[in-house]
Amino acid sequence: MALSEPATVPAYLDRRNNFGRSPAGGFQRLSFAGSASEYFGIWIVNILLTIVTLGIYSAWAKVRRNRYFYGNTVLLSRGFEYHAKGGQILIGRLIVFAYLIIYNVVLTVMPLAGGALGLLFFLFVPWLLTRGLRFSARVTSYRNVRFDFVGRTGGAFVAFIVGPVLAALTLGILAPLASRWSYRYIGNNLRYGRKAFATDPALGAIYKTWLPSAAMILLGLLIIGAIIAINITAMAPLIDDPDAISDELQASIGALTVLIYVLMFAVFGTASLFYRAGVRNVAWSATTFDGKHRLMSDLSRFRYTWIAVSNFVITLVTLGLMRPWAAVRMASYVNEHTAIRFEGEVGEIFSAIEQEGSAVGAEFMDIEGFDFGF
Amino acid sequence: MPSSLAEAGERLTVHGDAGAELSGGKLSAVEISPRVGAVPRRITFPDGSLFETGDNDAIDRFLTRKGRGREGIIHRMERFHPRLIAFVAAAILLGALIYRFALPALVEVAVAVTPPVVPRVMSVSTLEALDRTVLGDSELDEARRGRIIEGFRAIAALSAGGEGDYTLNFRKGGAIGPNAFALPDGTLILTDELVELAGNDTEMIVGVLAHEIGHVELKHSLRQIYRAAGVAALIMLIAGDIGSGAEDVLVQGGGLLSLSYSRSAEAAADRHSVELMLKAGRDPTAIARFFQLIETKLEDHSETSIFSTHPGTPERRKAILDLVAELRAQPR
Repeated sequence: MALSEPATVPAYLDRRNNFGRSPAGGFQRLSFAGSASEYFGIWIVNILLTIVTLGIYSAWAKVRRNRYFYGNTVLLSRGFEYHAKGGQILIGRLIVFAYLIIYNVVLTVMPLAGGALGLLFFLFVPWLLTRGLRFSARVTSYRNVRFDFVGRTGGAFVAFIVGPVLAALTLGILAPLASRWSYRYIGNNLRYGRKAFATDPALGAIYKTWLPSAAMILLGLLIIGAIIAINITAMAPLIDDPDAISDELQASIGALTVLIYVLMFAVFGTASLFYRAGVRNVAWSATTFDGKHRLMSDLSRFRYTWIAVSNFVITLVTLGLMRPWAAVRMASYVNEHTAIRFEGEVGEIFSAIEQEGSAVGAEFMDIEGFDFGF
Repeated sequence: MPSSLAEAGERLTVHGDAGAELSGGKLSAVEISPRVGAVPRRITFPDGSLFETGDNDAIDRFLTRKGRGREGIIHRMERFHPRLIAFVAAAILLGALIYRFALPALVEVAVAVTPPVVPRVMSVSTLEALDRTVLGDSELDEARRGRIIEGFRAIAALSAGGEGDYTLNFRKGGAIGPNAFALPDGTLILTDELVELAGNDTEMIVGVLAHEIGHVELKHSLRQIYRAAGVAALIMLIAGDIGSGAEDVLVQGGGLLSLSYSRSAEAAADRHSVELMLKAGRDPTAIARFFQLIETKLEDHSETSIFSTHPGTPERRKAILDLVAELRAQPR
């Protein structure tokens, strides 16, 4: 697919372009119109009512949160809309919850039956994910035209079970393949009105964005290994004499364990954020809508990783209170680096789509599976 | 397209620029989306047509006039206002109260309503799984086994459930080495390795068994399962939107807290051992000797750390000796 080439412009070079905000080719960027102070109120009321209602309100909380974020995601001065009802989400959650309880009870009562049950689980999860994706798509609209998702369970099994398992078994070497599968599964099955999205991210481009992350993990593990080795050589003579295991040594072993744990978390977290941003750029930029309108993502991997990491630290330090600010900050950044270029006159394109109407009626019965956005 | 919304008696109508009615419907049949922040309101008419407006306040005034002001209550709570500080405080307070009081209470209720068949089935299947994987047949001689069983019967008879509630199984530990553990239905498992470690001190083994009986009697495993489930549910509840990284941290924190729970369960079982041994007129310090043995033979001098399931061995031994001294000092 020749159209996918410009995607591979290294994202970090794109900083130059960001000042202009208007890249060549007439790309229309998304924007985010929400504010941290406004979202703070929604967020804290969601938490409070969820606690007071012993969790039941969480379904309605999700609706309010998504209506806020979708509604403030603006393209061509029109927002997206989220139409799910709290009741639908509650029912979906109860079903998943019941399954998890049954699963855990059976697992506790008959540990040896765990194998068979695990197999069933592997079949159930893709089905749930497919339903969840379909639900999310169908309750989303833009200009009063709904999205739809037509993926099947088999595809979800390959994209979300086989892919990650393969990636894990090969220690991440095949992770780009898994990413490609999942993006293709979502991107090729997404519909807007009666028109389809199509995506075919090039494997080579994903590997190119994967390399720095792999190098980061290797380097991180080497450093952690060196720290362990140095400490073991320092401690070994002390441990030879069992009586000499002092309190201080105990304490330093404890501190070392914590340090290594935190380092591992940091290394893998950073590398996966870096990779996630890169893959998103490649995959979105290789996506077209209705065969001609091109999508684009030009996140800077450094900036994206920085925002995610600093968001995490600030959320933790403020005991969660800055989370609304962090969420709005991330949404703004991601939206501003997502764009679409329409071939032709935008008004005509949308009135044609609106004329055709949605493939899905507004009054369909559906329930949410997993919480799984796209 | 630009248009305006107007009220006409029972109906709500939309007019285009030229003044022609584009759509309309009875107020009760028109769906007005609830207000969320400054997101434009959607007014959906029965024929499926949609009117969108950013003038949220006008819609709110209209609804209030129609006596439907209550529909906006959630939004009014959410508005950025000093009141939100109280909400933050209430959320933290309620969360803490749930963790501190509601969760333990729920665990107690769950333990109380769990039919006895549940721990029985759990235990049978666990023992079966262990037998198939790590445990082997015991190679202890009859005489030694007899002495241990005799001591075990004596203390089991004095425990709350009576002798019938407990069965003692001898196994070869294999990979799990010197160990004794209890399954929730009162099935106790003692490994040959532990018996060998104890040498000729049968009393010490009886003390360890009394500790395991304590776990069963206090229903520690059931409690732990329910507690873990409760903490997970609590995190899921509150962590609706805190970001996946922060959620991981919460889960890890929950793990650390459950370890602290596990340590206090061990200490409770230690106390139970002392009390049961005293009641049986046996040596209550026997289990302390066992810890002494672990310290010297296995060179375990570890102190209590927040990362372990059991309290530090020297500390446990001291706590037991203190308790024995205290109980002995009490007039009976």
